[in-house]
Amino acid sequence: MGSIIVQLIISGIAMGFIYALVGIEYTLIWNASGVLNFSHDKLITLGAYIFGGTYIVGMQLGFVEGILLSIVTVAVIGIIIAKVIFIPLRNLTMIYTIMATVMLGKIIVEAIRLYWGPVPFSVPGFLVGTVKINNIVISIANIVIIIAAAICVCALQLFLYKTKPGKAMRCVAQNRNASQIMGIDVKTVMIITIIISMVICCLIGILVSPLLNISTTMSNMIGLKGFAAGVIGGFGYLPGAIVGGLVIGIVENLASMVFPAVYKDIAAFVLLVAFLLVRPKGITGKTR
Amino acid sequence: MLKINNIDAYYGKVQVLHNVSLEVGSNEIISLIGANGAGKSTLMKTVMGLIKPRKGSIEFQGEDITKIKNTKIVSRGIVYVPEGREVFPEMSVRDNLEMGAYCRNYSAKEMNDHLEQMYAIFPKLGERQKQLAGSLSGGEQQMLAICRGLMSDPKLIMFDEPSLGLAPVIVEEMFKVIVRINQERKIPVLLVEQNAYMALSISNRCYVMANGMIKLSGASEELLQVSDVKKTYLGG
Repeated sequence: MGSIIVQLIISGIAMGFIYALVGIEYTLIWNASGVLNFSHDKLITLGAYIFGGTYIVGMQLGFVEGILLSIVTVAVIGIIIAKVIFIPLRNLTMIYTIMATVMLGKIIVEAIRLYWGPVPFSVPGFLVGTVKINNIVISIANIVIIIAAAICVCALQLFLYKTKPGKAMRCVAQNRNASQIMGIDVKTVMIITIIISMVICCLIGILVSPLLNISTTMSNMIGLKGFAAGVIGGFGYLPGAIVGGLVIGIVENLASMVFPAVYKDIAAFVLLVAFLLVRPKGITGKTR
Repeated sequence: MLKINNIDAYYGKVQVLHNVSLEVGSNEIISLIGANGAGKSTLMKTVMGLIKPRKGSIEFQGEDITKIKNTKIVSRGIVYVPEGREVFPEMSVRDNLEMGAYCRNYSAKEMNDHLEQMYAIFPKLGERQKQLAGSLSGGEQQMLAICRGLMSDPKLIMFDEPSLGLAPVIVEEMFKVIVRINQERKIPVLLVEQNAYMALSISNRCYVMANGMIKLSGASEELLQVSDVKKTYLGG
């Protein structure tokens, strides 16, 4: 019994970090441009397809090369998306940008269907196997997810708080007018932010590919729960997204002990609704 | 130093500035007074390149800067201390000051020297350097905004309503500091103010703006005596 709880908590933490990354990825864009990126879950799917579909299954590259090339590819796509959608629309009413990102998501899904075909597939041999410590069995995928996500979160925090471009990103998030007056090139900062966000999306796609089949709907649930992570932790506040993500990941896994496993997904949304009713500011109470 | 020649500026279709000309000489304090909505802040933003004029030109140190990008204008040495302070609320006082030097690539030592200079002007900022800027009082935020502007060693500094919403004692301190900056650092100052009496009393020359036009200009001492100015801006 005890070992089952520990295993559930560990896989909960792993999923929690995925939700936290999702929360971070759209929080970054929200802070930099004031736009909610509704295509973010599709960008995760796109990352998984580029990695799994093109570089691994298609071109038979090694996993490391595949990951690096995927990151470069999505960074280039990020520049295009920034220049075509986010920058031209940044001063318009939010509804225009929301519609644009929703449509971007549709375009990506249909493009995926055309280019890679509609049949779901998996990445053979990627992060398979388990580790056994005493009588606790942990899958390697979960360990890698926890380590990679933790490194990603720490690197991002260092970047945002210790480097000049990172500080400029925080300035733009806090006060766009004053940033311009300081001579910060707001457009460049937005492009950098969107690239970082895209790279995180791609990493999420890669990290979840051992857990899920690669399909056009693979990230729907992750995207929604990542959104819930942001709300539960404190919308727009990066550490909040991490706290929210971990809470959701652990709670939903433990819930599967008490309720039938098919109801697992409900836990996150019950939490979301409860927080919206009782504490809309989120656990941390901060918004930026 | 700064020469604004006959500019027209628009917000969309609405013309805000009509044929405005203004000059700031080296080492001068120039004040710009006028009612709300006269176009004073718009003029500052046009100088900063945030709004592009449709007609006319802006020269800085003999160079035409009308078409130059906003980020380049900052590195040319024009600094704007905006109305309402506009500090970065979730960053520490120190980080705010460092961001003021964004357009300069200071070494760690140069950065520290500059920070020390700022803490010498307002010791309060030194005491609170780790505190978040959003938690400072209005007066302290204004001090921070002024120092943030000075961090990049500007060649011309423009203050937009530095007395807005501050207690009278602090207003006086702000004006003293502005005069000090002008005298000690030999930086020309363009001061936009609603507090017309204060502005006139510390400036060499003054421009009076109304409805997007310069209505009157001249030596501040003389303007203090002009009955129109007295009636409209000095309360009798």
